[in-house]
Amino acid sequence: MAEPRQTLEPPATTVVTGAAGWLGTALVHRLLAEGRPRLRLLARDTAQAASLRALGDVHVVIGDIARSQTAARLLHDVDGPCDVIHAAGLIHPRIVRDLYEANADGTRHLARAARRAGVRRFVHVSSNSPFGTNPHVADVFRAEEPYHPYYAYGRSKMLAELEIADAVERGLDAVVVRPPWFYGPHQPPRQTTFFKLVRAGRFPVIGDGQQRRSMVYVGNLVDGVLAAELTVGIAGRGFWIADARPYTVTEIVATVGRALADEGFSVKPPGRPMPAIVGRVAELADRLIQRTGRYVQQVHVLGEMDKTIACEIGTSRRDLGYEPAVELYEGMRRSISWCVATGIEL
Amino acid sequence: MSRSDAHAQVLVIGSGAGGATTAAVLAEAGLDVLVVEEGGWVEQGSVVPFSLEQMDRQYRAGGVTVALGLPSIAYTEGRCAGGGTEINSGLYRRPPADVLARWAVDYRIRDFDPDELFAIADEVERDLSVGLRPGAATPASEVLRRGADRLGWQNDEIPRWMAYPPDGNASQAHRQSMTRTYLPRAERAGARIEVGCRVDRLELDGPRARAAHVTHADGRRNTVRFGDAFVCGGAIQSPALLQRSGIRGHIGKTLAVHPTVKLAARFADVVNTVDDVPVHQVTEFAPDLSFGGSASQPGLVALALSDHWAAFHTAMTDWQRISVYYAAITSEGRGAVRSVRGVRDPIVTYRLTRRDRELLRSGLARLALVMLEAGAEEVYPSFRDAPVVRNRADLARLQDRFVAGRASVMTVHLCSTVPLGEAEGITGASSYGKVHGTDNVWVNDASLLPTAPGVNPQATVMAIAIRNARRFAASRSARG
Repeated sequence: MAEPRQTLEPPATTVVTGAAGWLGTALVHRLLAEGRPRLRLLARDTAQAASLRALGDVHVVIGDIARSQTAARLLHDVDGPCDVIHAAGLIHPRIVRDLYEANADGTRHLARAARRAGVRRFVHVSSNSPFGTNPHVADVFRAEEPYHPYYAYGRSKMLAELEIADAVERGLDAVVVRPPWFYGPHQPPRQTTFFKLVRAGRFPVIGDGQQRRSMVYVGNLVDGVLAAELTVGIAGRGFWIADARPYTVTEIVATVGRALADEGFSVKPPGRPMPAIVGRVAELADRLIQRTGRYVQQVHVLGEMDKTIACEIGTSRRDLGYEPAVELYEGMRRSISWCVATGIEL
Repeated sequence: MSRSDAHAQVLVIGSGAGGATTAAVLAEAGLDVLVVEEGGWVEQGSVVPFSLEQMDRQYRAGGVTVALGLPSIAYTEGRCAGGGTEINSGLYRRPPADVLARWAVDYRIRDFDPDELFAIADEVERDLSVGLRPGAATPASEVLRRGADRLGWQNDEIPRWMAYPPDGNASQAHRQSMTRTYLPRAERAGARIEVGCRVDRLELDGPRARAAHVTHADGRRNTVRFGDAFVCGGAIQSPALLQRSGIRGHIGKTLAVHPTVKLAARFADVVNTVDDVPVHQVTEFAPDLSFGGSASQPGLVALALSDHWAAFHTAMTDWQRISVYYAAITSEGRGAVRSVRGVRDPIVTYRLTRRDRELLRSGLARLALVMLEAGAEEVYPSFRDAPVVRNRADLARLQDRFVAGRASVMTVHLCSTVPLGEAEGITGASSYGKVHGTDNVWVNDASLLPTAPGVNPQATVMAIAIRNARRFAASRSARG
């Protein structure tokens, strides 16, 4: 029988990078609601800093994660137990090189600074991308898998994970959390396109639509990140944090359509699926474009659409006590009503 | 057999897992049975397992034959009394119940009752002394268990059909192959067994086969007349013989295999067990993907290293610390067996699908991860230009460079060239193995399995062969 899970008390200081991002904002909201004593947040610019300060009593540091001085400033002079939640990451860059600087170099700088500062627990937010796509639709990624990065983003996130593994060898107490595609309140503008395409019946379903996708509601992800932060004895390990089960692409489109309709939007029925060749062509185009060091978001996303990316959360349930509370329909409704309340047009 | 015509009530062609069981069941039911086997009778222990001499005497074509395609898939067939059972690893897996149920529905197989097949499996397990290996597993087997356990991946020990001496010394085990079990049983019940005797073709008169034209090892030819013929030459030779005999239909069009890719792994300690294969399998991803250990004689270690010999050959000096492992997949691809007039052996082709290639790639990487977790110092994947894998970052390199077309893909599980059932267009024989369109030609071997079962198929082959043979014997005695 597994030993009962032991947990840590919340630390005196909690550092969050990428604090103004999608996950970061949700995290900060939760940490403030839970009454975490000191929050030290990394923002990219003054605009982000202002929006974070508006949330409550937080200490904001402005800087570029890709630069080593940023990490040193962020972790300068912390006293008492300090945890770091490294949620900063670049996903859709202007040029490919930015990915490596932000994701891989940034993580190395931060992990090194954390080791020097005697950080108690370091939670690295990774991705499914270091593992690529499942070999077939019924396959599910286990907690431990061989790396097979999906293009440059995947490679940059793999390198980041390897930096973490290296830091753990050198004594840092770090764990890796791997969320797949997430959704929910605080979404960035690019996600609005997703709702608009579904509304218009134009979401690109490729092939038979039976490809499966693990997704995670951002609230579930916050649960998982905090469970990973406060669970004892898991240094060096990685955990999938996802909804209870993977969804088929057809199910995702139908569920989002239903959630939109139930929030009062008009929704056109989904159009005809695209032939499988479209996904192949887009993937090829993505590869060729990235080879030149450039990056086109739409092509990248389309190229990934016909793949299965599914993971199992059994290990996270068992070892982190993680239980996904929200499912796709409910999560999408919350996401849509957040957009409406925020004045985002869908 | 004399130079003149011979006769038998039932002619059984081939003496492997299908033919030997068929012969024993029919002879014990009182039928007059003649078994003809193309290969020779080789007593166990007279050749070293997995040696070159064994390949020469007990394998078809001296060991390896190739199914053409991109990549070509190497396969091995036994050609000796006892067929594949004399040369395989002796691992025993019952057919999965869900596979049997799916076959019954998809191929419309009558009276295909999993319980009946499992009851037969009970008997087979007694007859072959199926059981776990006594004592500790070999170091090479332990590697699989340790690596999988560390990853939290399901693994188990596969029982084998081995008889162990009373002192439990596993290295003194005797394989309970057909030459030690069902063939002697058939002989005791009166069956005649003729080795070194190849059937060139069956002579048909409309739907009825009258005689078999055979060639003996010394070049003599004659004919054998029979009431019924059971073709049990395995999934390549059985459809080839039917085709050579002019039998049309769904014959040889749906070859199914479990493609496998390999790697060699080097450890700090001695792991190579020359005369035994690992009994553990990693079943976490079954049935789509499973991992096990391969025979690892020095020659076979060299073969596993040969795909990137320039980079890997120096490892050969450490062969005692190296063992060979495989990743096997269920394949969505299909192959074909075509006999060509005037050519002795059929042309075999096989095409992997995109999903199959992806699965081979991820299977090889996952297997390499098991090796790293088990403490491998270096892993040598068997494909051209493969990187040496020493750590997790190298696993990404492995997957980046893997191209199925550059890999040594091979298989030992060949089936499905004459699927049984009543479904039109996808079956070659009736629910009991009688070739569609014939009155008295039966197939009773791995050819009948509608698909590759996702596990070592010998148990499935034997259970279905015994079921069909019993059905046949009952119908004959009922008729008097």
